[in-house]
Amino acid sequence: MKRLLMLAPVAAVVLVTACGGSTSNGALAPVPAGTVPAGTAQAGAAQPGVVRLLTHDSFAVSDSLKAAFEKSTGLKLEIVTSGDAGTMVAGAVLAAGSPTADVMFGTDNTLVSRATKAGVFWPYNSPDVAALIPSLKANTDGGLVTPIDYGDVCVNIDSSWFTKHGVTPPTTLADLPKPQYKDLLVVEDPAASSTGLAFLLASISRYGDGWKDYWSSLQANGVKVAATWTDAYEGSFTAGGGNGDRPLVVSYATSPPAEIVYAADPKPTKPSTSVMTDGCYRQVEYAGVLAGAANPSGAQKVIDWLISAPVQADVPLSMFVFPARAGVALPDVFTKFAAKVDTPLMLDPATVAAGLDGWLSEWDAVMGR
Amino acid sequence: MVPTAFLVAFLVFPIGTLMVRVGLGLHVAPATATLFALSLAQATASTLLALAIGVPLAAVVSRYSFRGRALAQALLTVPFVMPTVVVALAFRAMLGSSLPQGMVLVVLAHAYVNLAVVVRVVGATWAQLPDSYEMVARSLGASTWRAFITVTLPSLRGALIASAAIVFTFSFTSLGIALLLGDSSTRTLESQVFRQAGTLLDFPGAATTALLQLLVVVAVLGAGGLLSARAPRRPLRPPALRALLPREWWIPALAALGGALVLAPVVGLIYASLHTSHGWTAQWWLSLGLIDAGTDRIGSPVSALVTSLGYAGLTAVVAGLVGGCAAVAALTQARTRVVALIALAPLGVSAATLGLGVLLAFGRPPFDLRSTGLLVPMTHALVAVPLVVAVAAPALRAADPRRALVAASLGAAPTRAFLAAYGPVLRVVSLSAAGLAAAVSLGEFGAASFLARAGSPTVPLQIARLLSRPGEQAYGVAAALAVVLVAFTLSLTLIVDRAGRTT
Repeated sequence: MKRLLMLAPVAAVVLVTACGGSTSNGALAPVPAGTVPAGTAQAGAAQPGVVRLLTHDSFAVSDSLKAAFEKSTGLKLEIVTSGDAGTMVAGAVLAAGSPTADVMFGTDNTLVSRATKAGVFWPYNSPDVAALIPSLKANTDGGLVTPIDYGDVCVNIDSSWFTKHGVTPPTTLADLPKPQYKDLLVVEDPAASSTGLAFLLASISRYGDGWKDYWSSLQANGVKVAATWTDAYEGSFTAGGGNGDRPLVVSYATSPPAEIVYAADPKPTKPSTSVMTDGCYRQVEYAGVLAGAANPSGAQKVIDWLISAPVQADVPLSMFVFPARAGVALPDVFTKFAAKVDTPLMLDPATVAAGLDGWLSEWDAVMGR
Repeated sequence: MVPTAFLVAFLVFPIGTLMVRVGLGLHVAPATATLFALSLAQATASTLLALAIGVPLAAVVSRYSFRGRALAQALLTVPFVMPTVVVALAFRAMLGSSLPQGMVLVVLAHAYVNLAVVVRVVGATWAQLPDSYEMVARSLGASTWRAFITVTLPSLRGALIASAAIVFTFSFTSLGIALLLGDSSTRTLESQVFRQAGTLLDFPGAATTALLQLLVVVAVLGAGGLLSARAPRRPLRPPALRALLPREWWIPALAALGGALVLAPVVGLIYASLHTSHGWTAQWWLSLGLIDAGTDRIGSPVSALVTSLGYAGLTAVVAGLVGGCAAVAALTQARTRVVALIALAPLGVSAATLGLGVLLAFGRPPFDLRSTGLLVPMTHALVAVPLVVAVAAPALRAADPRRALVAASLGAAPTRAFLAAYGPVLRVVSLSAAGLAAAVSLGEFGAASFLARAGSPTVPLQIARLLSRPGEQAYGVAAALAVVLVAFTLSLTLIVDRAGRTT
């Protein structure tokens, strides 16, 4: 404490002298150390031996796999995050041609056509692409992007709530507006949450132009709109962290196994939540070499690594999504509790890009928001 | 000089880079006009409520000496650093369904979060005011109220206006609370920027909205700056806390009430950090050091704390220096007042705009700062500078410049003469301001989410990441981490306050 006090007058003197400008004749005042643009030292030159992976903040991979990549390629892998998927893609589109990294992971099928059209990617077809599930390669624009993983956005059910109240859980999208499910569902705002957007796209894919009527009936049946996934799941879902009052929530087909993996000790043997497998929207996440990358060959190696069997096997428990590579063995908790969705709903990325702005405004109008 | 260089480097350059890249859309969406009016109403209500609660608390904790005063003052800073998502969950847990989401809840939450701004800014000036004037007024027959209104209030005007302008700005540009606790009536221009940039990739539209927001904020802060500059000067007396008279028992009681209000959601957090569906537990606290350790999956919560504290220290130094200089500039030369005014501008720049701008300007050569770890603290300093100016400028203005003249006439060098007049205030105020800057850094979420490196998230970022996955662990560990964040803020504030107080 004493020492801090002694520093105080010193700080005051520094403050007065550092400000300089008020007494001197415009002479340059000393710049505090922290504000010197340290980057000028390395200006222009790309650091050799480094490859930068730009990703959203839910990206995760085991340390050992990252170390293995660095050892086998001799490259240092620097992972930089940039907000959620939407803001990351926004940044990449703005920086198209002169990117802030070499390779980007995490563009999904709602945004991918915007990014490819803006010239964000250089094409690259990994020699390993043949090993990926064929249906996932539909929207890759001739190798501009490579599918890495996929997941399904589905309505999740708090099974114990339904058992306790003697109500049969819903099984299809068409069930949700029925009177026995009044005031039971919470969804996310499609303008603020990618989960909410996926659910809106699912309804558009299922009902076509009738989607507005569907949402009117949900509205009449007391659907609650939360701002984000966290807010809906942790705040409003009865099986979430808080004191929620809604036993139905829009979440992922892989949320039940996550409930087990991240449960309190002692871990339960089976999850208390289940998945409604109808009306699920499939999200595919892609990676691509950024156009103008300083280290394009390193970027290609990162893509090879992302779809290699070991990383693909790590994907389920790291990010709770399914690997894009065919025939990768899934962990037990996935085979037992993750929902298998046989007929997922999907919209063509170009259709989404063209319709999104209008759909969001119409959704606002339907929901009286 | 310093503020100008800093602001040009870290505000004008990135925003300029972004604007050049984007261009401006010329049409303003009709929805934007509605949002504008609603944000205006919401921010005005939030500001009035924050002042109504904050000013009495500032009076109590900055002027009187009683047991627990320092603790109460530190507690009042806590809401300011709590991550938005935590505040939202805590409010919801506390109020249940008794208060539906919407305007009322958002105004309450904004007042709660911004209480610290009012208490700090108004308190810093109030502590400098001698009681003698009010006493003289009362001995001449004025009632307590009349003495307060005619003597104290005019002296506080600068600080009141400055804090009101800041609270208004925070509420007007709010993103998280407006989204999480609000409904369609509480959407802000900032949420529109996010929607246009992040979901629709409509950059010209987003830039127009962001510019509109910036103009409003600069106008409000500019008006605030002009009005508060005309506040009358008072001679300085070194700050001394008044002892309580026996009949003033209500003063500590009021402070205790304020502390309790602030603590209520924190108690909910402590409960959540010690509880599972099976009953009481310590496992969330025990896993703070090793949750998912050894993977890049999430990083350990403790390492997030180390990252955050490092950033907070750097932010306090940089923001203290830059903001202090801007405050001194506002004092001495008419020309440099402009700098002080510009120093307030970062408050109006949306986090999305700033984050994207900094990324484009410093994320690649020739100014590649990503690997230096400087981006986050510099951006935090940018956000904190306006608060430092708001604390320092009114308090400095309340000091007596005649001392400098006397010292100069006795042969002191300009710097020494300046210190003779402003040294004591400067010491108290710079510590208090640096503490506030550190608190800003500890709690900041928006810009950090754009700029942090994967391996080293800040605490609020880490909490948000934990809460973005299902399972009890996420909720429990996030609550424990939030409690740690609150505890650190509390101790930091206590230390800084004590250092500033003791003479």
